[in-house]
Amino acid sequence: MVLKNVGEATKSWTTRVEAKKARIESVRGLVDGVAIPTDRIVEVLEKLIKTGDRVVLEGNNQKQASFLSQSLVQIDPKKVHDLHMIMSSISRPEHLDVFEYGIARKIDFSYAGPQSLRIAQMIEDGKIELGDLHTYIELYGRLFIDLIPNVALVAADKADANGNLYTGPNTEETPTLVEAAAFRDGIVIAQVNEIVDELPRVDIPSSWVDFIVVADKPYELEPLFTRDPRHITDIQILQAMMIIRGIYEKHGVKSLNHGIGFNTAAVELLLPTYAESLGLKGKICTNWVLNPHPTLIPAIESGWVESVYCFGGELGMEKYVEARRDIFFTGKDGSLRSNRTLAQLAGQYAVDLFIGSTLQMDGLGNSSTVTRGRVAGYGGAPNMGHNPGGRRHSTDAWFDLKTSDEPLARGKKLVVQVAETFQEANKPVFVESLDAISVKDQAKLAVAPVMIYGEDVTHIVTEEGIAYLYKSDSIAERREMIASIAGITPIGMEHNPKATERLREKGMIALPEDLGIRRSDAKRSLLAAKNIDELVQWSGGLYTPPAKFRSW
Amino acid sequence: MKSAFLFPGQGSQYEGMLNDLPDDPVVKNLLEESGELLHTPIESLHSKKALSTTKAVQQCLLIAAVSTYKVFEKNGLMPTYVAGHSVGAFGAATAAGVITFAEALRLVTLRGELMEKTCDEGYGMAVVLGLDEYRLSEIVNSLFDAEEPVYVSNRNAPTQITLSGSLRGLQKVIDYVTSHGATAARLLNVSTPSHSPLFNQVSEELFRELDKLELKRPKIPISSNITSRLLMQADTVKEDLAKSICYPVRWHDAANLLFESGTEIFIEMPPGDVLSKLAKQAFSEARTMSAAKNGLEDCLYVMSNS
Repeated sequence: MVLKNVGEATKSWTTRVEAKKARIESVRGLVDGVAIPTDRIVEVLEKLIKTGDRVVLEGNNQKQASFLSQSLVQIDPKKVHDLHMIMSSISRPEHLDVFEYGIARKIDFSYAGPQSLRIAQMIEDGKIELGDLHTYIELYGRLFIDLIPNVALVAADKADANGNLYTGPNTEETPTLVEAAAFRDGIVIAQVNEIVDELPRVDIPSSWVDFIVVADKPYELEPLFTRDPRHITDIQILQAMMIIRGIYEKHGVKSLNHGIGFNTAAVELLLPTYAESLGLKGKICTNWVLNPHPTLIPAIESGWVESVYCFGGELGMEKYVEARRDIFFTGKDGSLRSNRTLAQLAGQYAVDLFIGSTLQMDGLGNSSTVTRGRVAGYGGAPNMGHNPGGRRHSTDAWFDLKTSDEPLARGKKLVVQVAETFQEANKPVFVESLDAISVKDQAKLAVAPVMIYGEDVTHIVTEEGIAYLYKSDSIAERREMIASIAGITPIGMEHNPKATERLREKGMIALPEDLGIRRSDAKRSLLAAKNIDELVQWSGGLYTPPAKFRSW
Repeated sequence: MKSAFLFPGQGSQYEGMLNDLPDDPVVKNLLEESGELLHTPIESLHSKKALSTTKAVQQCLLIAAVSTYKVFEKNGLMPTYVAGHSVGAFGAATAAGVITFAEALRLVTLRGELMEKTCDEGYGMAVVLGLDEYRLSEIVNSLFDAEEPVYVSNRNAPTQITLSGSLRGLQKVIDYVTSHGATAARLLNVSTPSHSPLFNQVSEELFRELDKLELKRPKIPISSNITSRLLMQADTVKEDLAKSICYPVRWHDAANLLFESGTEIFIEMPPGDVLSKLAKQAFSEARTMSAAKNGLEDCLYVMSNS
């Protein structure tokens, strides 16, 4: 006997695609094929976006779909309102204006550094409903589970008449956002700087894209990863020397990610000088997941670097990258291909080490970069700054962190936090209690915005020394290790000189002298380049820094 | 391009300041109007002797800033936002059309008189550099003595914060913070403990006076002293003008809000450049100018090309 499903005849399984067709039909008279006329964008958005939609708007910490965000804010809130915005970075005034004007109601995001006061105020005033704060990859993941977008608004460099897109060096998160919408009958709208007959290469095929619109001006791009070596201090150089000897050399760190601090910029600039003199070339720092940092140029030119995979591009580095194809991931056209999602995955699972700076750390090693009264979110650090439980492959550095001989013992990702014991204005970095806790209460967050949890941190580096936290599971002992390198901060004042001696003998902490480093040797003269101009020289003139970094 | 005009508060005044205002008929008219409203020759307002009184200082600051603002207005150059520090908020409210100049002049005159009357000698303000508001508040609370009260008042920059209260209490805090993390701490040449609860009564009287007026809805959003939010309604402006004297001025946040809202040009009205310097320090990407230091012509030029 054949069972008949009575509902089969009446239930439609194609409601989503039909709804999409209807939306596209509604703008037929306004668009020219896949092209939306620039001056009709607001009108078209008012038809393509419906009240209550989940809208993913491209705005990460580098590339911004600025024309589309400026157009979105002009929508009539009587026609479209209560949008649920999903954005990896809230960077521009209009990203929050859409909430002020009643066009959007709810937000899920990763990073809000440039709008951190306003968003904190709006959460407090009930003008914005906060979904949650995420790391980048977490947010991207949710785009395919419970934050599936109805509409994706993204930015590309160029399109052809069919809607194929070239996103070039700044491909970043565009393919991920487009994928989440395009393959679930969402609508994909890309702003482009220009339409051309032939694209240098296709980064996103036209069948994933519904509409393109030529922006009134090129999308905004921030040179976020350019660090001028002029601002590197002797203390940062001392830290860099300790990192190279006491961590990279000790564990044989070959693959890694660096944060954007000046202390890690100093490491990059010490590779061809200090690290070279230690005979470490080829033994450390060969494979990177990193944006094209200008401060990596001297190491690349000196033959230190085998490969660099990038989250995004960096303004001014385009020609240099093209001319160093052996090092970077590039397309057939020669230009860089970046991908934030895959780079975050690589940074999570495939590298030996993540290292970043912190502004505040408690006695257990929990660290945070939040400031009271501000909601800044995370970005990518928490993702790369933890030990992924799903890792199964072994590398020398990872295996070196194994602390037991148990049959099931395994290694660990190296997660390093660097800090000077005092920030500007005499603010101790090591404190009893993190500001993150008061931010949690003020912004009504479910959990305190901790950047890296103490349990994930394997090493802490200050100007005093290195604490090898991975060597102990005891909370009391870890606290003692942190105190002994925390200087004269409240936590540091707890330390007992006898305990410090004992920890040194056991190799749980190391002071510069234990690593064969003389503090007086930590001088700027060790830097392979001391200013932007010298970076340009190293690059043979291929690096063209943005105007604000030019000193000549 | 979005712009914000900043109206300075006490501390920017100097002897003869009204002579340095732009040479423009609008300014001249407003000076004349002021003299008539106050029944005083203008010269007597900005003499050294006069400026030792809070009342004259506040009058002069209002006249200097609003008269210069009028030149921008005459040229059709309106800012996107305005903000005023302390008494500067009355200038900002005038620019935004919430109150008329005559009303503002009457209000600041009353404010100055009430402030002078409220506290005897032995009160004042101090500035502390190098500690943030949370650390400084902890210290001030732990040293608090009801006989010699001290309050944390204006947040001018993240680590440039004023204290208001009794001189002896202030000295006690200064002595303590100097050896506990502050890079500098000193008394200010101000004889009133402004922006502290000691002025609750002044605030109540200002409220009564403001209640008599018919305030207009601001035609330019104003960044608030007390809440560092954008004020778009007459009522919220009224509250800010009346209450500011007994609450801390959250200047850094107020200016930061304008920056995050997209302000790319900050222009400070005369007579000084204190606020534009703070803005320059805090928002290096923005353009900051002061009519007093850069000259009105340059400011007009930048505004007309923005």
